[in-house]
Amino acid sequence: MPEATPMVTIEDVRGALHDVIDPELGFNIVDLGLLYDIGIEGGLIDLTMTMTTPGCPAQDYIVGGVERRLAELPGVSGVFVNVVWSPPWSPRRMSRAAKAHFRIREDGE
Amino acid sequence: MNTTADRLSRWTPSIFACALVNLALGLLLAISGLAWPETPAGAPATLAMVHLLTIGWLMLLMLGALFQFVPVITGRKLPSQWFALATLVGVELGLASMVCGFLALGGNALAAVLLPIGGSVVVIAVLTGGAALLVPLMRKRPRPLSAWFILAGLAFLLLTVLLGLTFAFALTVPSAGPLLALLLASGVAYHVLAGLGGWFTLTAIGVSYELLPMFMLAPHERGRLGKAVLWLGAGGFAAALAAGLAGALWPLRWIGVPEQAGRLAIVLALALYLVDVARIYHDRRRRQIELHNRAAVGAFISLGFTVLLAAWAAAAGRLAAFAPVLVLLFLLGWLSGLGLTQLYKIVAFLSWLQRFGNRLGRAPVPRVQDLVNEQRAAGLFALYFTALGAAAVAVAFGQPVATRAALAVSLLAVLLLAREYARAWRGYYAVDRSSGPSSGTTTLSRIKGVHP
Repeated sequence: MPEATPMVTIEDVRGALHDVIDPELGFNIVDLGLLYDIGIEGGLIDLTMTMTTPGCPAQDYIVGGVERRLAELPGVSGVFVNVVWSPPWSPRRMSRAAKAHFRIREDGE
Repeated sequence: MNTTADRLSRWTPSIFACALVNLALGLLLAISGLAWPETPAGAPATLAMVHLLTIGWLMLLMLGALFQFVPVITGRKLPSQWFALATLVGVELGLASMVCGFLALGGNALAAVLLPIGGSVVVIAVLTGGAALLVPLMRKRPRPLSAWFILAGLAFLLLTVLLGLTFAFALTVPSAGPLLALLLASGVAYHVLAGLGGWFTLTAIGVSYELLPMFMLAPHERGRLGKAVLWLGAGGFAAALAAGLAGALWPLRWIGVPEQAGRLAIVLALALYLVDVARIYHDRRRRQIELHNRAAVGAFISLGFTVLLAAWAAAAGRLAAFAPVLVLLFLLGWLSGLGLTQLYKIVAFLSWLQRFGNRLGRAPVPRVQDLVNEQRAAGLFALYFTALGAAAVAVAFGQPVATRAALAVSLLAVLLLAREYARAWRGYYAVDRSSGPSSGTTTLSRIKGVHP
């Protein structure tokens, strides 16, 4: 009997994307709050994310990094990344750890 | 579809390297005693020095940055990367011809050939680079505020180089008409105003409005204040230049009114810009800011001091007496200071994109900050601005030897900074740290202790 393909979960995706950083801020994109939505259907991952600033020069590299990292996960057959600007990113979206690292107040202001 | 290559300007690092060489050559001429401060402003070697600093250093720096920056803010690529190379080659060849032409002034027939040819080649190079930048800028709708500043800056660039070419003909053609002779006699100040003000300053403001909030996580929207800076600045330079040039050619009594109004608008625009910059620093969410933005404060202080001194000197009727120190502070303090500090970040960023961008997601990568050694460079920026301040004081007190000595120190700082840029470009510090005993922690990208 063939081995069943493991199902990828949202936790797997978020865990894997801790390996992808925003090179300018030097922090992973999950804790920076750049991920807006993760959709999984079968082995297909549909990810909606943003950048810290519109026109980020590293945008294509970050998207490429996301695609490459997720494609390595077992059970993933395709990755689609949509970059959106609405709602705009704000430091409020950062995790507590990221806010502490950048010495940003808890309310993100 | 991979669009990363479209967003990277392949020739920008080479343009920056050539610009830095020209800055060093310009400063070397000043230090040597062959040019200003030992000779008058119109002396051949001084003209060569000034054009090495403006065309060779600042213009190349600005165009190199725009070739990288415009596709990013517009989301549209340049028509071809080759425009940047053609611009670099044209500017360098034209500038070399101009510098030789200036040095041959005063009787040598070569000047009559080299200056107009060099000037024409620079104009063609500028048109080439400007056309490449205009394509994405014109297609972008709606245009961000920074794009409007760059468009205005490019218009003044065209005016500056055309005026310069006119002067090249007026200087070298004995039978130049009376209008050209009149323009040469009193129009040089407007060539300087169009170049240092309309072109360099408006463009630098536009670029800084993108870079400062981006790297300090400050609100990006500049609102009415940003628009006021744009309209007062662009309108002020346009009015002062149009009225001033018309006044230089025709004896019109009323022409002084729009010229003065234009100058007032420029001072107001620069003052409002500094207020806005202070707002960006104050409203930043990133409390610990990086060296390039800390050091840029030196450039903003230079600009503020220049504006205050110019306003006071104009009111006291002593503008001509203070012109050398004003030009020094504006050119080497504000424009070059901002350029050198932002270059520190841009080079590291370009290096990261080129070296590590495609490794992201595959393997641990360093941060952009890991490609530089801020502790080492901080002292160099302090040395540069301190030496410049000393040079300004020496100029104000009419001490050419002390001015040259201070400029020699600033050149030393520039050369050591250039070594830091080269190290960032080669990934020197990243390699150095990742091979050390503490590798694999902060140098390599995965920040520990933040995994939920």
